[in-house]
Amino acid sequence: MSESKKTFVITRFDPDKDEVPKTQEYEIPVHEDWKVLDAINFIKDEVDPTISHRWSCRMAVCGSCGMMVNGEPKLTCKTRLSDYGDRVIVEPLANFPVIRDLVSELDGFMEKFQAVKPWVIRAKEEAGAVSASNPPKSSKGTFVQSAAELAEFKQFSLCINCMLCYAACPVVANEPEFLGPAAIALGHRYNLDSRDQGLDERNEVFRGEGTVFSCSFANECSEVCPKNVDPAAAVNQAKFGAVIDWATSLVLPRPGASKEGGK
Amino acid sequence: MAGPAHPKAMTPSKPGRTRTAPPQMPASWWSHPRIRTYLLFDATGLVYLLLGLVALRVIWALGAGPEVWDATLASLSSPLYVAFHVIGLVSVIFVGVRFFSFFPKSQPPRIGPAKPPPQPVILAGLYVAWIGVTVLFGLILAGRIF
Repeated sequence: MSESKKTFVITRFDPDKDEVPKTQEYEIPVHEDWKVLDAINFIKDEVDPTISHRWSCRMAVCGSCGMMVNGEPKLTCKTRLSDYGDRVIVEPLANFPVIRDLVSELDGFMEKFQAVKPWVIRAKEEAGAVSASNPPKSSKGTFVQSAAELAEFKQFSLCINCMLCYAACPVVANEPEFLGPAAIALGHRYNLDSRDQGLDERNEVFRGEGTVFSCSFANECSEVCPKNVDPAAAVNQAKFGAVIDWATSLVLPRPGASKEGGK
Repeated sequence: MAGPAHPKAMTPSKPGRTRTAPPQMPASWWSHPRIRTYLLFDATGLVYLLLGLVALRVIWALGAGPEVWDATLASLSSPLYVAFHVIGLVSVIFVGVRFFSFFPKSQPPRIGPAKPPPQPVILAGLYVAWIGVTVLFGLILAGRIF
């Protein structure tokens, strides 16, 4: 296994000392089959133990090790060092506050995730009876979902919450209130789920300010997505769905409208 | 890091547990070809704004008498205006091609029971419609029909 040397320019930020992030360079020997994460781990283990970064599975499943590598959001466990030259710049994910070094603040992201109600919503009359000992059932028994119905949303359920799409999105960079690609893709995934009945609730969220209609279809989210979820497709399908939903609401009575009218 | 992005991008609605540095733009954000293409795409909005102003001027000239109308037509044939309209044409083609390339995947898997046709068919339909409308307007403006 051949070995060479590369210089890593790593962002450092200590919230107890630094006003703004700075950079520090490390020249280390690297193996040709290393990923970027292997190099960062080597620096932490052998050169500078004070570096902070997130990682876990090393197989592009957990979504923890997302960082900017030479200006592009990457899962560092999946990014080959051999694709880069002698100088590699590693920064925390763009558009997120920095807690320390390469570690980003996730709270804003998690709040946006919850806003799209990422769970199966059932009509109230059924939901009241659901519990752990009494799982939801349709009139035909347990919810049956065909392969074709699964195929409609499966792609959008493969998101690993790595947040690369938020770091790449020019709208997220400029509009703090924008829900963002992963959250909208997740909401859209449930809207497409044949077991779900929460379309109206989520479309109400999607029609609000800073949601699907803020997307300018830069497609950057889909370009950087390591799992080929294609969030840009989800966001723009959700746009289409919200418009259809709005247009049909003008000509068709909403469910429950007659009950309200009878009060 | 080049400097701060929007200082509140992705920040939580309440203060975090620790002090954080504001979101940062990557040092070389402008050097990526995809970002440059997107910026160029956005910049075409300026070309459309100017095209709109030219169109308004032409409409105004239409109601300002034959002399003004002739002078406006003469000015539109100047090299400067011709070059500007070539830029406008390139901008329209660029935005159209980019939009069409993304359009098929923005279609929902179905609307009610109806499923959209395969993506290549949607793409072909968009180009056929675009070319058809262009030819139709060309014939109208050339006085061949109507």
